[in-house]
Amino acid sequence: MTGAVEIQVSKRSAMGKQAVRRLRRTGMVPGVIYGHKEQTVAIQLPADELAKVLRRGTRVVDVKTDGRVEKALIREVQWDHLGKELLHVDFYRVAADERIVVTVPVEVRGTAPGLSAGGVLDQPMHTLAIECLAVRIPESIRVNVGELQLGQAIHVRDLVLPPDVRAMADPEAVVVQVKTPQAEVEAAEAAGPAEPEVIGRAKAEEEPAE
Amino acid sequence: MALMPKRVKYRKSQRGVVKGNAHRGNTVVFGEFGLQALEGGWLSAEAIEAGRITATHAVRGEGRLYIRIFPHKSITAIPAETRMGKGKGEPEYWAAVIKPGMILYEVAGLPESAARECLARVAYKMPFRCRFVQRRPSL
Repeated sequence: MTGAVEIQVSKRSAMGKQAVRRLRRTGMVPGVIYGHKEQTVAIQLPADELAKVLRRGTRVVDVKTDGRVEKALIREVQWDHLGKELLHVDFYRVAADERIVVTVPVEVRGTAPGLSAGGVLDQPMHTLAIECLAVRIPESIRVNVGELQLGQAIHVRDLVLPPDVRAMADPEAVVVQVKTPQAEVEAAEAAGPAEPEVIGRAKAEEEPAE
Repeated sequence: MALMPKRVKYRKSQRGVVKGNAHRGNTVVFGEFGLQALEGGWLSAEAIEAGRITATHAVRGEGRLYIRIFPHKSITAIPAETRMGKGKGEPEYWAAVIKPGMILYEVAGLPESAARECLARVAYKMPFRCRFVQRRPSL
């Protein structure tokens, strides 16, 4: 569980793409805080501080604005096209006793015995949507694959969740499985046609042209 | 054999211009690590296949490889020493249109060091600069 992390923000007067671009050049990230039927406030905060908070996996932070502290969930983060720079952040006000739906990473622990039998570990679900208290968001959901044999799978219903946490995904959905590796399909592909079929062109038209 | 569409509406396409950056397909989705293009251009089906073979050899049966791109565009060419005119050339190869930021390949089920090694070899086969990326923290 993550403790309350404080983040200092200031109100933002820079609005519009030109102004926020100038703001970003000074090492700040524009953001917004909203929710709980209170006023939406445009804010700005240092990019390195936000990056530090995100790296830690913190989801709920104490946002300090002009001496006022509000508990808020980091709801959305926008990155540039290369995923290097932070462009914008959304904070959503939450109450400590409020139940919220968030997605948390699924962390695979242990070594599956099925891997030594020639299997490949396949993890179709990297994140899981859960409902929990806003102040008790688990950092991750740990899945122990220590007893997973070849051909076996762990489903959402098999997950051991912390108390007061409910999974929102389909209970039958596969989280992690050990599969037999896929065979090379080169030989089958090599027998395919040299050119794709053209939609709407009749076979009779095609033949005299060739 | 290199990738190619099964069915197309038209055999030949106009060249077009690779404008802007990738705002879709620019995050690691299926695996844990990926290879991201830093430049735009056309990536031929042969180059995609070369990358796949290199990655398969590098991981030696371990882990899983995902190819995030597909060559949808037919590229035409006219034979050498051909006089002007007589229309557009015949389809020569198929290519994927790549924008800066696109994730080309992803690997899963490998430790970071092995994934780095594997994707570095794949990057060597690519006609543009690439970088190794990890899955972003989920929100």
